[in-house]
Amino acid sequence: MSNYKKTYVTLSSIVVFMFFFSYMLVPLYDIFCEITGLNGKTNQERIVDLNEKPTNRFVTIKFTSTVAGAGPFDFEPLEREMVVEVGKVYTTSYILTNQSNSLKQVTASPSVVPGAEAEYFKKIECFCFTQQEINGLETKELPLQFIIDDKLSSDTNTLILSYTMFNTTDQLGAK
Amino acid sequence: MSTNVQDIHEDHHHTPSGLMRWITTTNHKDIGSLYLWFSLLMFFVGGFMALIIRAELFEPGLQLVVPGFFNQMTTMHALIMIFGAVMPAFVGLANWQIPIMIGAPDMALPRLNNWSFWILPFAFTMLLSTLFFDSGGPAAGWTLYPPLSLQGGNSMPFVILSIHLLGISSILGAINVIATILNMRAPGMTLMKMPIFIWTWLITAFLLIAAMPVLAGAITMLLTDRFFGTSFFTASGGGDPVMFQHIFWFFGHPEVYILILPAFGIVSTIIPAFSRKKLFGYDSMVYATASIALLSFIVWAHHMFTVGMPLAGEIFFMLTTMLIAVPTGIKVFNWVATMWRGSMTFETPMLFALAFIILFTIGGFSGLMLAMTPADFQYHDTYFVVAHFHYVLVPGAVFAIIAAVYYWLPKWTGKMYSESLGKLHFWLTTIFVNLTFFPMHFVGLAGMPRRIPDYPVQFADFNAIASVGAFGFGLSQLLFIYILYNTLKRDVTAEDKVWDGAEGLEWTLSSPPPYHSFEKAPRVE
Amino acid sequence: MKRIIYLLALVLPSQILADWQVNMPRGVTPTSEIAYDIHMLMFWVTVVIGVLVFGAMIYSIIYHRKSVGHQPAKFHESTKVEIIWTVIPFLILVACAIPATKALIMMEDTSDAGITLKVTGYQWMWEYEYLEDGVNFFSKIDNKSNNARRLNSGKDVNNVENYLRNVDNEVVLPTDTKVRLLLTASDVIHAWWVPELGGKKDAIPGYVNELWINIKKPGVYRGACAELCGKDHGFMPIVVRAVPKLEYEKWVSLKKDNRVAESQNIGR
Repeated sequence: MSNYKKTYVTLSSIVVFMFFFSYMLVPLYDIFCEITGLNGKTNQERIVDLNEKPTNRFVTIKFTSTVAGAGPFDFEPLEREMVVEVGKVYTTSYILTNQSNSLKQVTASPSVVPGAEAEYFKKIECFCFTQQEINGLETKELPLQFIIDDKLSSDTNTLILSYTMFNTTDQLGAK
Repeated sequence: MSTNVQDIHEDHHHTPSGLMRWITTTNHKDIGSLYLWFSLLMFFVGGFMALIIRAELFEPGLQLVVPGFFNQMTTMHALIMIFGAVMPAFVGLANWQIPIMIGAPDMALPRLNNWSFWILPFAFTMLLSTLFFDSGGPAAGWTLYPPLSLQGGNSMPFVILSIHLLGISSILGAINVIATILNMRAPGMTLMKMPIFIWTWLITAFLLIAAMPVLAGAITMLLTDRFFGTSFFTASGGGDPVMFQHIFWFFGHPEVYILILPAFGIVSTIIPAFSRKKLFGYDSMVYATASIALLSFIVWAHHMFTVGMPLAGEIFFMLTTMLIAVPTGIKVFNWVATMWRGSMTFETPMLFALAFIILFTIGGFSGLMLAMTPADFQYHDTYFVVAHFHYVLVPGAVFAIIAAVYYWLPKWTGKMYSESLGKLHFWLTTIFVNLTFFPMHFVGLAGMPRRIPDYPVQFADFNAIASVGAFGFGLSQLLFIYILYNTLKRDVTAEDKVWDGAEGLEWTLSSPPPYHSFEKAPRVE
Repeated sequence: MKRIIYLLALVLPSQILADWQVNMPRGVTPTSEIAYDIHMLMFWVTVVIGVLVFGAMIYSIIYHRKSVGHQPAKFHESTKVEIIWTVIPFLILVACAIPATKALIMMEDTSDAGITLKVTGYQWMWEYEYLEDGVNFFSKIDNKSNNARRLNSGKDVNNVENYLRNVDNEVVLPTDTKVRLLLTASDVIHAWWVPELGGKKDAIPGYVNELWINIKKPGVYRGACAELCGKDHGFMPIVVRAVPKLEYEKWVSLKKDNRVAESQNIGR
């Protein structure tokens, strides 16, 4: 009978392990994304120490924005395009207007193209993934400070930063 | 946990009759029959949905259903056919055949066996009941991709709960299969002497145990995303909808082989029997099956080449996927070598097995084409994909199941089916299956996306042909029901060794076999 | 007589095929052409393997049957044969993988694009934004198709021109220009696909994907959403009009003027 027991215990542990493995895939996937730049995921942490190393190499940064769902927002980059020097800090911002009359909760998610170069687009100050409140009919400037890492591959001369603005008001109300 | 053998003997003294016999049964043959009848019922339910789909697609323009309902039909058709028809049919065959092929009295866990079957009717009742909700059933495809699946109506938690139940049922069934095969073989039957069907089921059971919990995890995350404020898959909270696809297909690709490996086992049993020649390359068949199973865990992303993967990922998944063609090819070559210089006869099971080899290989060919990432950017999410997976699942898995039923039915019932009706069933089924699915290759290549209720008029001709084929295929299966009925009613008894070329312990038993298959374990030399 | 049959055999399929498109279009971009080439390569590889394997099978079925009195042979294993049919398919696959990998590297190189077109998927339409020129507009199924497609619309869809393949606002793109497409979505996952312009890519909410096309021939190219996106997934077509560069520039300036005029109207 001990043979049977061994079989059952082994098999049940595989089942339990695989269930938790599916949850382990979540952090593994994030690591995988950061390494490979899958989906243009950028570093979510802000860089603390400013280490400016001007390189006299210039690249074009294009800014674009999307409003998710039927959010009552106008959301545009202040500048559509910037030519920046690799290794120097720049500041720009996005302008968000709440076109409705009521207070809204919003959160923005960034994405950089080409994905493989996303990790070299380093944000010093950014409004990603933080819950923001915006009053009815208010216009807010959301500042963004960034530096292009000098490890950026030499073939790349254009980077595109895209922000998607999500309306999270309902989700919060539901909680 | 130590009750397994005692249970069997207790059963001797009190076997309830009537309905209670089926509800309380712990006998592997009764449970096997329940599984098979249930899967046949689900095959018709899922088939009915397929006919609604094909009826709507018979000509361009919407004539019968609204798009929302159409999407519920495609979603439900897939869920029912995969989890309700094909998987339970294989489990039913496993229940019937494993004990009598390895010389055991019953399965290792008879009570668990009873539960794992009786979960199914409840799970499917719940799943099907969602169709009658005001907001309708699930409509985001059987792959349940978020964010679309998170938009779904009230059906979503019910669908997820029923998939959980189906998963539990399969896992329990798989544990039972492994425990039986590893511990209850007749003395002398070493692993490398096991019938090949037993080998394929052993490997399938391990796949089930490794893959089903991952699906459970993925759908649990969906559920908490929808109702408990987590954001595994919602970009607004830092999650990623593509991650669901990765986790889903990490389950999904092994699942594909769960649906086909037992079919390989069946065909590898039937071809030698009717060629009157031993299976060519038994060892290589076992190794090929195992390597297909192992490879299935590192190819998942080929289902999602268009999500925007890094170049290295695309190349890796393309190469590993192509690699699967090697062991699969070995299997096909071995089958042909088994037939080669044999002494073949063409009874119904053999006909279905031969059709399996040709049509499954055609499905394999389109699979190889789909593996090529640059071309897949064109094929992805078109009817070419629909044609591909129906070729491997219908004339693949389903044909193998039908072949197995014809092959072992005389053993199970002690009655011989009508060979001429069986052959008629074969020819109708084979002609209509090709009429249904072959034109789908053409419309797919020409640019028809899948999961659409209506299409531009340029695709009309082939869609009309496919619809005619589908109705022909569906109606031909009514003949199958009649053949089963007719077999039970007619007065033609089957011999113990039904097929003169067949080998294996099951043929040493009487037809039908005694209630407890092998009271005394046979010796295998 | 034989000759006529041969002739018929040659002519008939090609005539039928002209009406019934049965193959992937070769398309008008470098990416669609390479996808087509890989597709045809794999097609012929599988045809050759198929003829050999099924040929052996059918030969065996005809000659090695009991009813012609064939006695079964005794052999049932051969390591040599197993190695041969492991190695040969493997080599064939390696030979196929090389061009495919080269094609992939070419397809994924989005650098040096002339213009950038951002495509956003909505339930159920597309938004196009020309990043450099600031032109943007929505594009959804045209009214004729949209009216005819309703359940019991009473209209014969066969009489609707370009049924389900026409939109209200076409995308206009210049030929012989590398266009970088940025794909994203507002609500659920969509996929932007025009077969003749090459492969598709998913448009995922919150993320941006990229795809490049370089149209070699002016013309109108039609496609559709390829990823299930809800009830009207089948009704969000795509129409791309490719025109020579000069004409494109005229179109852009016209669009810009309209935009200015519109905003002035709103201002009043």
